[in-house]
Amino acid sequence: MRLNQEQQEMLAGKFGRGCQKAMEINIQLAEAQGAEELVRISYAHLMPPDVMFFPYGRQGHWANDMTGELTKDVEHLRVPATIEPKFCQLAVAKTLQFPDDVSKEIGQIQGAATDFYERIGVIPTYSALPFYVRPGRFGEHVSIAESIAILWYNTMFGSRCERDDGVTSLAAAITGYCPLAGAHLQENRYGEVVIRLGKDLDFAKFEDADWDAFSLASSRLCKEKRPVFVGVPKNIGVTELKHLLAVIAVESGLAIMHIEGVTPEAPTLEKAMGGAKPLAEYTVGKKELLEAYQLANTATGNDVDFVLMGCPHLTMKEIRDLAEVLEGKKIHNNVKLVAVTTKLLYEQAKDMGYADAIQKSGAEFTCDMCIAFAGTQVKGTIATNSIKADFFYAGFSAEGKRQVRFGSTKDCARSALTGKWEGKTL
Amino acid sequence: MKNNYQGKSIKKLGVVEGEALVTTDLVAFWGGTDWETGIIVEAGHEAKGKNMAGKILVFPAGKGGAGDTFGWYYLFRSGKAPLALICNRPQNTTLAGALLTDTPMIYGFGEEIEKVIKTGDIVRVDSDRGIVELK
Repeated sequence: MRLNQEQQEMLAGKFGRGCQKAMEINIQLAEAQGAEELVRISYAHLMPPDVMFFPYGRQGHWANDMTGELTKDVEHLRVPATIEPKFCQLAVAKTLQFPDDVSKEIGQIQGAATDFYERIGVIPTYSALPFYVRPGRFGEHVSIAESIAILWYNTMFGSRCERDDGVTSLAAAITGYCPLAGAHLQENRYGEVVIRLGKDLDFAKFEDADWDAFSLASSRLCKEKRPVFVGVPKNIGVTELKHLLAVIAVESGLAIMHIEGVTPEAPTLEKAMGGAKPLAEYTVGKKELLEAYQLANTATGNDVDFVLMGCPHLTMKEIRDLAEVLEGKKIHNNVKLVAVTTKLLYEQAKDMGYADAIQKSGAEFTCDMCIAFAGTQVKGTIATNSIKADFFYAGFSAEGKRQVRFGSTKDCARSALTGKWEGKTL
Repeated sequence: MKNNYQGKSIKKLGVVEGEALVTTDLVAFWGGTDWETGIIVEAGHEAKGKNMAGKILVFPAGKGGAGDTFGWYYLFRSGKAPLALICNRPQNTTLAGALLTDTPMIYGFGEEIEKVIKTGDIVRVDSDRGIVELK
């Protein structure tokens, strides 16, 4: 490993124990990856365990064992940084069935952590979509801890980042460096396989949920190989991109993918592949899309107890869809609806009257929290417009307490009005 | 048939030996695995219901959210983590989780290692030399 003078000084402890520990983590990771040097970054997105990862009970205290030594004497970060959602807004903790004592503990652990990060200058985005606040630049090196944001900065902006997590991104932000490895290097950015839509489907007729199902179906075909999507409309919107990127980011663990004619490193298929031949070519047709819907719909009955939306945070189009269905109506007595977005969009949705329309229906609409994680403790059937959230709702527990219905934003909103699943039945 | 497979070890942590749990599906530790028991719970996963606690986990690559490292860490703190990790593509979050807990991990083999080793095989993982030996 080659270290420059500043890096050697950090390692020697000249800038305190936190910075020294961060450099140790950087070097360990670089050696594990086979990197020969560290690269200077211009931005970091943080995912502190005590902000987001079930900050209560015994695991709430494990966070300090992971990041306590790193943060103890750190007073500032060397790069601008944004931050992941909080685990849960206390205002909706009761709706999400957290007992009062647990809510209190969440408030203490999460509150102390967010106070700390705000004090050292982290921009309080509390969202997995930090690009509204800090867009990427082509070719810059960054460190990001959030699967969709990693995929978004690499794929949509052409920034360079690896799949960093809450510890490694913090180490990068404290030192201003991260290992020069993985998707930071050109040879690990090219597409490996090609994915097309079957002739029996039409992107122009896709609802938001269809992009999720398409993404899951694609992921089951390409597995960990980097795909180039061919035939996606050039005018694809942010909402559709969010659905496409969010699912495959988790299901395939990808740092980067390409969309021919849309993303900056894929002006042509050939360029996206770096001139190499695809290892495989896949087609997602009606059959594969239906299989994805079936996989995501784990519920057997038709009753819906919870409608949880906003993983990743709702876009303005989704907020408008929700408001259009709920306006002037009341959600069913047996249903709890919690919808979440970023503070920026929440404020704008207030100005546009959408927030009012949603809240007057009896639904709860809030911002800055992770509905995918905070929604995992409810008992009953959850309806969601996100397969990423679905993965977490159906996951975690071997007991399988939660059943999930998956469909479009409008289908979920309609289900909240009737208490029955109003989406596609397959 | 050869018995030794050379890969890259993430850190020199000695030798461990144990029973293999093999899957050809990608593995998520956060959400995909129950950190209280070590059981794979992901819907549609090839190894759903299998317990990875105390095993040598053999898989093509990690997946999941960027919080996957924490999933591994919670599993480790619950005493339900595998003894060692053997995979082909080194997902960054898997590397970071193994480093955080000093768990031996070897990756990057010349062949698809998850198709060579079978569940129930006894495997010796030499993290000092980056060698996986099939007993």
